[in-house]
Amino acid sequence: MTRKLTPDPSCSIGGVKMADQGAADPGNNNNNKPEEAEGTIIKVTVKTPKDKEEIAIAEDASVTQFKEEISRRFKAKQDQLVLIFAGKILKDGDSLSQHGIKDGLTVHLVIKTAQKAGDGGSTSASSSTSTQAGNSPASSPGINPSSSAGSTGTDAPNTQTPNILTGFGDLAGLSGMGMGSANFMELQQQMQRQLMSNPEMLSQIMENPLVQNMMSNPDLMRQMIMANPQMQTLMERNPEISHMLNNPELMRQTMELARNPAMMQEMMRNQDRALSNLESIPGGYNALRRMYTDIQEPMFSAAREQFGNNPFSALGGNSESGAQPSRTENREPLPNPWGPQNSSNPSESGGATTGSTSTPGGTNPSVSNPLGINAGSLGNGMFNSPGMQSLMQQISENPQLMQNMLSAPYMRSMMQSLSQNPELASQVLMNNPLFAGNPQLQDQFRSQLPIFLQQMQNPEAMGVMTNPRAMQALMQIQQGLQTLQTEAPGLMPSLMTGGLPGGGPGGVPGGGPGGVPGGVPGGVPGGGLPTDNPASSPGGAGTNAAQQQLMQQMLQMFAGGGGGGGGGGGGLPQTPEVRFQSQLDQLSSMGFINPEANLQALIATGGDINAAIERLLGSQPS
Amino acid sequence: MDQTESYPVQLYIYDMSRGMARQLSPVMLGRQLDGIWHTAIVIHGKEFFFVGQGINNCPPGSTPLGQPGSVVDLGSTEVSAELFMEYLMSLAVSTYGRDTYNLFEHNCNTFSDEVAQFLTGKKIPSYITDLPSDVLSTPFGQILRPLLDSIVVNPGGSNITGQR
Repeated sequence: MTRKLTPDPSCSIGGVKMADQGAADPGNNNNNKPEEAEGTIIKVTVKTPKDKEEIAIAEDASVTQFKEEISRRFKAKQDQLVLIFAGKILKDGDSLSQHGIKDGLTVHLVIKTAQKAGDGGSTSASSSTSTQAGNSPASSPGINPSSSAGSTGTDAPNTQTPNILTGFGDLAGLSGMGMGSANFMELQQQMQRQLMSNPEMLSQIMENPLVQNMMSNPDLMRQMIMANPQMQTLMERNPEISHMLNNPELMRQTMELARNPAMMQEMMRNQDRALSNLESIPGGYNALRRMYTDIQEPMFSAAREQFGNNPFSALGGNSESGAQPSRTENREPLPNPWGPQNSSNPSESGGATTGSTSTPGGTNPSVSNPLGINAGSLGNGMFNSPGMQSLMQQISENPQLMQNMLSAPYMRSMMQSLSQNPELASQVLMNNPLFAGNPQLQDQFRSQLPIFLQQMQNPEAMGVMTNPRAMQALMQIQQGLQTLQTEAPGLMPSLMTGGLPGGGPGGVPGGGPGGVPGGVPGGVPGGGLPTDNPASSPGGAGTNAAQQQLMQQMLQMFAGGGGGGGGGGGGLPQTPEVRFQSQLDQLSSMGFINPEANLQALIATGGDINAAIERLLGSQPS
Repeated sequence: MDQTESYPVQLYIYDMSRGMARQLSPVMLGRQLDGIWHTAIVIHGKEFFFVGQGINNCPPGSTPLGQPGSVVDLGSTEVSAELFMEYLMSLAVSTYGRDTYNLFEHNCNTFSDEVAQFLTGKKIPSYITDLPSDVLSTPFGQILRPLLDSIVVNPGGSNITGQR
């Protein structure tokens, strides 16, 4: 019985019976029934990711028949089977021999878990990954790509799948972060870079319901925040922060805020307004300033490491910006008295920052003129503080910081009010503890005030502040001055007058950002330089006991401030017991007699007595 | 499933010793090894490889190993990205999960070989898959075996299952 081979795609060789029946007929010619001499049985290995089986099938069988056999053997539906051989997907209408499948060869099988093909498959895959992402802790950045996967996915399957893969890749990478593999820092940095370069991403992340879910769990957030070593150092330094973190209500509120950028801005504005009221009270200004330098600024820098600029730039830019202008603006006059000398100084300055030597000369006249000579020495001294240096470096590296700060509406309004009301300004500034111990300085400053305030309005000054190169130039000048200090101490005492008090507050915020490890390379050279300054300045200050005291205060602030004052405060890292000595005493006098428990509670709360007490009370049955 | 798109498949080959193997192997092992090979399959714009954590992927060339020493074109496949991920997921739960990594028997090259065959039907060049046996055939390799066995390679990327 011979039949002509019909051009039927379901058979190519021989397949007489099949040709007879037209389309592939699963009922026939299958299951090792060699009805025809041509239909030899071949053994094909079918390999899945999990295992492999040898399937005997007729050589001339169609893919459909093959799949039938496979579905029987692997207990899966034919729809779920995807056969791949030599890079090709075997379609039902093909035949095995068409693909060259012969005896002993291996065909790969994937059993699809998704019931739908194409779109459905990819969306279910992406949603399952999203759930996985949601389940893995410490991976808020991990949510990012799932949001991008979620938000991209309504196109044709092909365009969709690359997005999902991106989702997989980034997502998995970022949740891989949590396990502390070697890639952790890299990935985190990458993510931060991405975040910082694309603020929209942040809002996207925040909008993702998974993120919101996670953020609504304050415990989780607290864990995450505490896990960051920078935050930990921060918390040790500032018990108030840990108290804040321990307060679930506050955390929840903060999370709400972070989630809703509009609400956050609103809140910031309210805060600004409230703070501006405070500012007008002489004592209040101090408190504000202290609050800023002690808490916000280090947090700001630490947070910058973790969250990117956005959430905290407003914080950094508002409220305590009042303190900032008095410091930053004071930097401006710096170059003036040393004008002719300054142009040679930068050439000697050991450049932690780069910059052309001509630039300082260029900026000198424009920056310093309005503020006059005496204020210049004032600014000089402040500039010399190591904290200032690191701050400067940070600023020069991140012009955005300055811009944010200067552009904060609060600040602008404050500066305006200051400039319009010199008395207010003088009052405010005089109460600044910077100047408290030093009447000379106060006088100097008072006289400079009007010009100084005008200067603040000067857009050119603004421009200088925001110009990273200008900042770098100023840094260089400062370094040059430091060298001068060591070389020509005779010259310095006149500087020290302005130097030490300026060094105080300058030290603390400098200590803050300088103290935060990692991420800010500026902090490291800034931290390195201080070793020179405290050493040399006591030499210069030897003539004045008051100055020495101030110096000591500064050193202590550095010690409290950590890394930025690492040189000065080098001897001061202490064990927790010593650090919390006074708190321990207080606790024991209150009746908490178990010193270990006390200590642990104190450590856990970062030295915050109230929180420690709560902890202790929570753990003790009575 | 009527798409017959075809996706190019490449094999990225890295020398993890950065040339040191080529120089030192005759001395240390007594035979010439041109490199300690790590391979990865690049398809659909992603690089996939098997490491201690499991199957990882990353943008091509972005592991700490940098750019591959050589790239072999394995042809192309009709396997779509979605299908491929399904396949990898099953692999990840079966034979290539976490902690299945063994430097000699079940390493990145084993994975690349298997995936290459799945995708294109071709194997990867034999000098790569022969590396473990080459090393073990030297007395030095035998001595070092216990130490090397415990080495788990983690050159970057991120796990495809999104866990860990």
